[in-house]
Amino acid sequence: MIKLENIDVCFGDFKALKNINIHVKEGEFFTFLGPSGCGKTTTLRTITGFINPVNGTVSVRGKDITNTPVEKRNIGMVFQSYALFPTMTVYENIAFGLKVQKMSKEDIRQKVYSMAEKVDLSEEQLQKKVSELSGGQQQRVAIARALVTSPEIICLDEPLSNLDAKLRVQLRNELKDLQRRFGITSVYVTHDQEEALTLSDKIAVFNEGVIEQIGTPDEIYNHSATEFVCNFIGDINRLEKEFLIASGLDASNKSIVDVDKKCYIRLERIHVNDVLDGDTLKIGAEVESAEFYGLYIKYILKAGNESLKVIEKNSGRPLYKKGEKVTLSFNPKDIMQY
Amino acid sequence: MKKKKMKFDSGQLPKYLIYAFFVWFILSCLVIPNINTIFTVFFENGEFTLEPLQKLLSSEKAMKSLRNSCILAPALSVTVGFVGISLVLITEYFDIRGARMLRIGYMTTLIYGGIILVSGYKFIYGNNGFLTNIFAKVIPNFPTDWFQGFWAVLFVMTFACTSNHMIFLRNAMRAVDFQTVEAAQNMGASQIRILLRVVLPVLTPSLLAVTILTFITGLSATSAPLLIGGNDFQTITPMILTFSKTVNSRPLAALLALFLGIATILLLTVMMKIEKRGHYMSISKVKTTIRKQKIRNPIINVLVHIYAYILFLIYVLPVVLIVLFSFTDAKTIATRKLSLSAFTLDNYKTILTEASAYRPFIVSVIYSLLSAVAVAILVLMACRIIQKNKNKASAALEYGLLIPWLLPTTLIAIGLITTYNTPRFWMFNKILTGTSVIMFIGYVIIKIPFTLRMTKAAFFSLDDSLEDAARSLGAKGFYTFRRVILPIVLPTVLAIFALNFNGLLGDYDMSVFMYHPLNQPLGVYIKSLTDAQTNADNSALSFVYAVLMMIISGTVVYFVYGRGDKTKVKK
Repeated sequence: MIKLENIDVCFGDFKALKNINIHVKEGEFFTFLGPSGCGKTTTLRTITGFINPVNGTVSVRGKDITNTPVEKRNIGMVFQSYALFPTMTVYENIAFGLKVQKMSKEDIRQKVYSMAEKVDLSEEQLQKKVSELSGGQQQRVAIARALVTSPEIICLDEPLSNLDAKLRVQLRNELKDLQRRFGITSVYVTHDQEEALTLSDKIAVFNEGVIEQIGTPDEIYNHSATEFVCNFIGDINRLEKEFLIASGLDASNKSIVDVDKKCYIRLERIHVNDVLDGDTLKIGAEVESAEFYGLYIKYILKAGNESLKVIEKNSGRPLYKKGEKVTLSFNPKDIMQY
Repeated sequence: MKKKKMKFDSGQLPKYLIYAFFVWFILSCLVIPNINTIFTVFFENGEFTLEPLQKLLSSEKAMKSLRNSCILAPALSVTVGFVGISLVLITEYFDIRGARMLRIGYMTTLIYGGIILVSGYKFIYGNNGFLTNIFAKVIPNFPTDWFQGFWAVLFVMTFACTSNHMIFLRNAMRAVDFQTVEAAQNMGASQIRILLRVVLPVLTPSLLAVTILTFITGLSATSAPLLIGGNDFQTITPMILTFSKTVNSRPLAALLALFLGIATILLLTVMMKIEKRGHYMSISKVKTTIRKQKIRNPIINVLVHIYAYILFLIYVLPVVLIVLFSFTDAKTIATRKLSLSAFTLDNYKTILTEASAYRPFIVSVIYSLLSAVAVAILVLMACRIIQKNKNKASAALEYGLLIPWLLPTTLIAIGLITTYNTPRFWMFNKILTGTSVIMFIGYVIIKIPFTLRMTKAAFFSLDDSLEDAARSLGAKGFYTFRRVILPIVLPTVLAIFALNFNGLLGDYDMSVFMYHPLNQPLGVYIKSLTDAQTNADNSALSFVYAVLMMIISGTVVYFVYGRGDKTKVKK
């Protein structure tokens, strides 16, 4: 539905985006993920039209909109700060876009009320000033305002980053729920990997103005395409050549694992004293420390010269103590290499 | 953000007209008159001359006025600094009984100033003044002309010039992170040590800034030396006024004005340097507001209370007496003897019914209103341009409009009247001097810098994404400005409008150079009423004016400052 092709964006001499190619499908929840300054917001603003690319085209449903002004694109946007108009009531905020379209008063009223109902804003709240609402309610107003003009696409620029941790999780679920109900194509920007993994149908991972990988959350996490992606998403252990050989890997057979490349393994893919099917590699290790998180336990272990982090689900069995000797096992298929 | 290439289309026409207007305005109203002033001083009949300079150097009166100004400015900086800090500490830092009432008293300078304030003081302390008479009765051989010259001017101006302290320094004090004070107490520091080492250093940048403003005020003092300086203590501005009255000595006036201009520019440069070094930002996230400190030493506590209430009396007495005497007849005013039977509403009736009496008031209201509206619109347009375009042209626009900030009112006035007394091409060959337009232009010019700085601050505190949001909802530029931006900055714009109106209503410094003889504005009229020769009937009128202006100013100040933070944009 949305196609970005060979997009380049420059700010003065600085090349903010280099050859960006993205295809967002109808109804998809598509997330741009990356550290700050990676170009994710710039890409979003290129879609909404606040930024004009130097090269490349933006098209929606096959129609080239690269040079269409912002106000004619019909793409809704939810801002990081929500950008609610402080001098207007909640009702006036939601009605703003409809008024611009010179819709009749009665139609505006109906649309605003039905939209308010969908996002759980009461009639009473509609007459309030936006500053009198809580953070979560403000977010719903921002979404309602963006959706009420029935845009084809909605863009969300870190809409949860202003909220405290608990509310963030709660609203994340609400957001996903709303998107499902409206079935609207959504482009979402965040630097929070957990948010990206839980919300998205597809994720594009950005780094320094280029896209490192586009894929489903599962692909991004389990089969990171680049070293940057595997380091950025989740925590990871770097495995040295000596360690791999010591754990029983056949270094001559490069078809399974090429020990001359950089090798990584996720924390939960190493098992302590528990050999799973396919765990062909084993090595002895000593427990250095344990952090208890309730849901899981994070161990730091020493195997030879290698320091490893391992996550174990809290199954109720006693914790391994500092200095205890254990056996680590893992499947060579879980090793990612670059 | 990358800008789209500019294409000329008819929709852009208003924009280009506005740009053209600003270019014309800055050149013909702000730049050319001042350059012309330099020109009139150093060129005669097209040739370079130092004659005005020699004349000035040989004029004993002029040199004396320069010397006087150079004594007054530093002296005033010290006395105003001392009193100003006292006021802030009394109202905001120490636990003083009746602090709220004291604060209202100390803030009276916000509602009356300039010529009205000085005439009020003169009425009390001057020859045959209210207090002077009392002193004369109590102390035999009391010199009744005591309130004249340097000390009198210094006294009046010390108490007249604390407004900046009550606004800016007080704000700085309220922003002090009280946890730093508590931390110092916790480490065993004494009260005086905390005040000197913890609290005052935080205030230093604001204090320096207001001190420089005071210094400039001292240099360009007008009303006080004019009314109570006597023959011995005249300063630069009154001298400029005298010189500018005859055509021959106008170059001298211009030269003195230039001197003031250069001094002001130098001082303001220093101030901007200080401002650049920045204010001490509190690093704490959880700020506690200041809790008033009780002075522990009982003797000092009593002394501070006495000091606070003496200051209060000095501030409040002129106001109270002006109000009281505005309700009395001419005889009472002449003799300064209050009696119940003397009270009357006649003065107010006169002002409301007699054209000659209310005319100056109407003139000033109309001029101030028009100018304040013009400035507001002008600056709003400028701010929008500055906000939307971040390039050299918009920077030039901003600096151009800030020119009047660097120059004393007197210099601007002299520039305008000496430049536009002949037809000039860039003023469409119209003569302005002596017409009723020129004062309007002058009023607008002097109010631009303050308005621009405040309005720009309001514009730049706006969340950029508000505008983005409006656009993504389909709104175009002007619609967004009208429906989204303007409503947010409007409270600030209105507040500045009110303050400008207020300031212009009683203006004397600009008006005296450019008023139309048939349309005497209030400031000039009151000054003429206060001159010694006029009869007591007239001084009754000037009191009524003073009261009316206090009411207007008081209302404005209440709405702008008194209602707390309501004018601020809620996030």
